[in-house]
Amino acid sequence: MTVDLDQYAKPGKSYYLALGLEGSANKIGVGVIKHNLGQLSSTNSAEVLSNVRDTYVTPPGEGFLPRDTARHHRNWVVRIIKDALKVAKVSGSDLDCICFTQGPGMGAPLQSVVIAARTLSQLWDLPLVGVNHCIGHIEMGREITGAQNPVVLYVSGGNTQVIAYSRQRYRIFGETLDIAIGNCLDRFARTLKIPNIPFPGYNIEQMAKKGKHLVPLPYTVKGMDLSMSGILAHIDQLAKQMFSGKKPPVDEETGEPITAEDLCFSLQETLYSMLVEITERAMAHVQSNQVLIVGGVGSNLRLQEMMQLMVQDRKGGSIHATDERFCIDNGIMIAHAGLLSYRTGQTNELWNTVCTQRYRTDEVFVKWRDD
Amino acid sequence: MSETLNHKLVLRIPFETNKQSEIACNSLNPDPILKSRELDVEFEIDKNTLVCKFSGTSDRVIRVAISNVIDNIKTIIECMDEFDEKKEVIFT
Repeated sequence: MTVDLDQYAKPGKSYYLALGLEGSANKIGVGVIKHNLGQLSSTNSAEVLSNVRDTYVTPPGEGFLPRDTARHHRNWVVRIIKDALKVAKVSGSDLDCICFTQGPGMGAPLQSVVIAARTLSQLWDLPLVGVNHCIGHIEMGREITGAQNPVVLYVSGGNTQVIAYSRQRYRIFGETLDIAIGNCLDRFARTLKIPNIPFPGYNIEQMAKKGKHLVPLPYTVKGMDLSMSGILAHIDQLAKQMFSGKKPPVDEETGEPITAEDLCFSLQETLYSMLVEITERAMAHVQSNQVLIVGGVGSNLRLQEMMQLMVQDRKGGSIHATDERFCIDNGIMIAHAGLLSYRTGQTNELWNTVCTQRYRTDEVFVKWRDD
Repeated sequence: MSETLNHKLVLRIPFETNKQSEIACNSLNPDPILKSRELDVEFEIDKNTLVCKFSGTSDRVIRVAISNVIDNIKTIIECMDEFDEKKEVIFT
């Protein structure tokens, strides 16, 4: 049996359109998605009509702070909504609902975007749908890659989770005990003062390609969970020694000096090995042979490559990842997950549109799946 | 507790229509006030005017709250300027 997704279709209309607004971190994104009536499948897939984004970029050595990020989002939100509608060539009267990120994320940026969502919803008399950011990533990843029931590795600046679906919940099998992996990479990029354009993880990845020496770092898998703050503190210390010239670290075998490139290489190898380990264990546990990587760090090719090596050793294993349009935070994934929710009759009244910084993936009842 | 919230200020913001002031009020109302022991904000409508009543323990908390509310109202007004009465429009 499958869930009836067409109980709430507008009479005489053969499709749905949803507007999605995302602003939980340093990106503001708006997208329009189209679903045709019926179950989503490889022959009836969701259609991306527009996916517009602007990123708040800070100078090298600086991270993004909630207040400044909220100001950036406020400056852009209305323009980006207009752009997304322009690109999609749809009018308000053709939309079914307005979806927004309700959490998790940074409070002030989330709030600055939901204000626009509430106003537009009333001006155009459209229902609001609150979306869990992680669910947005998962559903968009499944839709784009066609992975049916994968183990999901969700890795971004704010989240690190290994997730598997079971009985209408996306359940968290393992997660970070302290900082997110993207946060660890971003903060190390700040220590090295490398640019935040296009994003810090990309620049670390490029530098890592030139690294030759693997510097030993703590390897901190705790059961199914990870800890990364200790690794960051350790490698920050090495970077400081390297920059100060006092007791500069050297490679244990060759005696050659350790470079910033070596540190980037070592950090990536250590962190990604840990991710691969817990993902493999989750796969064995739920007897799945698919991995779906979502979230901003998921666009890292070295992580994809390491995961690929693990997966190809498993029988019938496959790995699914998306490119930066869908990996990195965007409005279209919010529109997509929100529309699935809308098609099962879930909408939010205005009083129920308050955003929360903490909103766990397994709190969401996945009404649109029943496998 | 409200005795200590003895610093008060009222903002009156006129909109073009009664509907617009109502929408603005509805958009601002859901978010809870953090630090409710130090600050209280109430939104009301008086025809086409949005009335924001601030009361707080000091002028500092009121200043911060007003700044935040005005930022939100800016987004609301920008939204209205661009989208009110334009539900049928395909933007180009």
